[in-house]
Amino acid sequence: MRGGGRGPGAGGRLMTYALAVFAVVAALLPVYWMLTISLKRQVDQLAVPPKWLIFEPTLAHYADAFLERSFAQYLVTSAIVAVSSTACALVLGTLAAYGLARFRLPRKLNTRVALWILSTRMFPPIVTAVPIFLLMSDLELLDTIASLVIVYTGFNLPFVVWMMRGFFREIPRELEEAARVDGDSRLGALRRVILPLVTPGLAATAVFCLIISWNEFLFALTLTQTDNAMTLPVGISGRVTQYEIEWGVMSAAGVVAMIPILVFALAVQRYLVRGLSLGAVKG
Amino acid sequence: MNVSFINVSKSFGPTVVVDDLTLSTEDGEFVVLLGPSGCGKTTTLRMLAGLEEATTGDIMIGPERVNDVPTQRRDVAMVFQSYALYPHMTIAENIAYPLRVRKIERGEIERRVARVAKMLEIDGLLARRPRELSGGERQRVALARAVVRSPRVYLMDEPLSNLDAKLRVQMRGELKRLQHELGTTTVYVTHDQSEAMTLAHRVAVMRAGRLQQFDTPLNIYNRPANRFVAEFVGSPAMNFIEGRRDEGARVFAGGGLSLPLSDSQLDLTDGRERVTLGVRPEHVHVSTSAQDGWTPATVYVTELMGNETFVFLRLPGGEKVIARAPASFRAEQETPAWVRFETERAVFFDADSGERLG
Repeated sequence: MRGGGRGPGAGGRLMTYALAVFAVVAALLPVYWMLTISLKRQVDQLAVPPKWLIFEPTLAHYADAFLERSFAQYLVTSAIVAVSSTACALVLGTLAAYGLARFRLPRKLNTRVALWILSTRMFPPIVTAVPIFLLMSDLELLDTIASLVIVYTGFNLPFVVWMMRGFFREIPRELEEAARVDGDSRLGALRRVILPLVTPGLAATAVFCLIISWNEFLFALTLTQTDNAMTLPVGISGRVTQYEIEWGVMSAAGVVAMIPILVFALAVQRYLVRGLSLGAVKG
Repeated sequence: MNVSFINVSKSFGPTVVVDDLTLSTEDGEFVVLLGPSGCGKTTTLRMLAGLEEATTGDIMIGPERVNDVPTQRRDVAMVFQSYALYPHMTIAENIAYPLRVRKIERGEIERRVARVAKMLEIDGLLARRPRELSGGERQRVALARAVVRSPRVYLMDEPLSNLDAKLRVQMRGELKRLQHELGTTTVYVTHDQSEAMTLAHRVAVMRAGRLQQFDTPLNIYNRPANRFVAEFVGSPAMNFIEGRRDEGARVFAGGGLSLPLSDSQLDLTDGRERVTLGVRPEHVHVSTSAQDGWTPATVYVTELMGNETFVFLRLPGGEKVIARAPASFRAEQETPAWVRFETERAVFFDADSGERLG
C-alpha cells in the first residue's frame, strides 16, 4: 500500500483490475472453449482461424453423447459414487473428528492418530493403485460401483477428519457439557447441539468430498473396465481413441460434468470460504 | 437432596487439584464453595456434575453413590459461567431443552417454559436467540433452563461473574429468593467473598485443593479457622500483627504496641511465645486527637467510600493496619493519629501454622 495507508491511486486500481481480468480470462477461457466446441459442428471445431463467437450452434454432440452413447449412464454412476462415498466419509469422518477433538487420549494419541490419518494422504495415490487393484480383485469387486465408493471413502476420510476436527474445536466444550447436564446423552448432545452448529463446516466438507470424488480419474480408470461402473471422467477420456478424437462428444460430456459441481459450489459458496479458512487455520 | 463428598481427591497427572475433600450438605441447603482461582472449587463442582471423574473417594447425592453415574443421569442442573446457551435455538427452545430430551409431552413443556419465563421476567424474549440478548438476560435464560425442571441439586459455577456490578447485586438477591422458594440443595462456586457471605447458608472455603473451613458465614467471619480464611473473607481484609505474648505483663506486644489480654485470651495462647493477632478493621478505632491510653500512629492514606472511610495507618513498629472510620473522618497523609484496638474482639493465630488458637 502506498501513500501511508491511503488506497491505491488510479493507476494502481487499473493494475488491480487488469490482473483480476487476466486471472478470470485465464481461468474461464478453457471452459469457454469447451462450451463452444460442444456446440460447434465438426467443421467449425478445428477451423483456422478459430471461430470465437460466430458459428452455427448445434446440440448434436449432446444428443450423440447422452442418447446414442452411454454418457447418461456414466453420469448416473458418477453421481451414485460421489454421493455415496461422500456420505460414508462424512458419517465416519465426523465421528472420528469429534472423538479426536473432544476426548483426551493418553500419550498424546490425539495428535498422533490425527497425523497418522493425515499421512495416508501424503504419498501419491498411484502408489496404492496396484495393491488396491489386487485387493478388489480378490474381493471380486472389480468393475463395480462398490469398489469406487470404498476407495473414495477412504480417500476422503482424512480430509473430513481434519476439517471437522477444526470445526469441532471451535465449539465451546461447555455447550455439550450443558446439554449433558440437561439430561442428554453424548450422542444426543452431538446430534442436537453440536452438529447444528457445525453445519457450515459439514457443508463445506461435503462439497470438497463431492468434487474430489466427482473428478477422480486414476482409480476410476484402474478399477473399472465396462459401462457397468465407468464414471464420467473415464468415459470422457475414452473418446480419445486410436482412430479419432471426438472433440464434440467429449466437450458436451465435459460441460454436463461441470454443472453439478458448479451448482454445489455456488450454493455453499458462503460456507466454503469460511470452512476453508477455519479448517486451514485451526485444523 | 443432600450432597456429600467423602475423602474425594482429584489429580490431573501429577497435579493434585482437590485433596481429600470431605463435606456434607443438608437437604435444601445453599452451600457456597469459596476460594481464589485454582483452589479446586470448580473442579469439585464439575465432579458433582459428573463432568470430571474423582480420582478417589465417594460422591453422594442423597443415598446414592454417583461416581459411576453418567452426567445425564445424575439429575442435576447447572448454570455455567459462560451461560452455555445453545446459540442455534430460540430462548424458548433453550429453556425447553432439558424437558425435550426427557420426552415430556409438548403441551406440558410449553406450560412449564411459560411459567419459568414469567417467573424470571423473560417472557418477552422467548422467540429471540441468545446472541440478541444482553448479559443479564442471558443469565436469566441460563437460570430458567436450570429451574424449568426439579433436579436433585442445582450447581452454579460463578453465574454472576460476567455481569456488571449493579446487575450482580440485583441478581444475587433474586438468586437467594429463588433458592429459598424452590428449596432445592444448591452448590454455588465463587471467588467473590461478598457473594458467599450474602447467599450461603454455609460457606466452604478452599485453598490449593484443601477445604479450610466449612461453616456459616457469620462463623467464617468471626471465627476464621486460619489466617487464610481470615484474610480471604471480609473487605477490607483483617489486620494481622505479629508479636509475642507476655505472660507476666498480661499483654500482647508487637508492632510497637502493647495490648492487654484477658484471662481467656491468656489461656488460649498459653504455652506460646510468638502469636499473630488478627483484628477486623471495624474493631480498630482511630482519632486525630490524642486519646488517653490510645496508641499513636501515622496516617498513611485515607480512602473515602462515601458511607465510611478506610484509614490506612502505620504503627510505631512500621506495620500497616486498616481502620474503618465514619465518613466524616478527615486526616492528611503523614499526620499523627491515635488508634485503639478492641482486643476483646481480636482472634489469635499460631505464628507458624496460621491456625486459629482456641
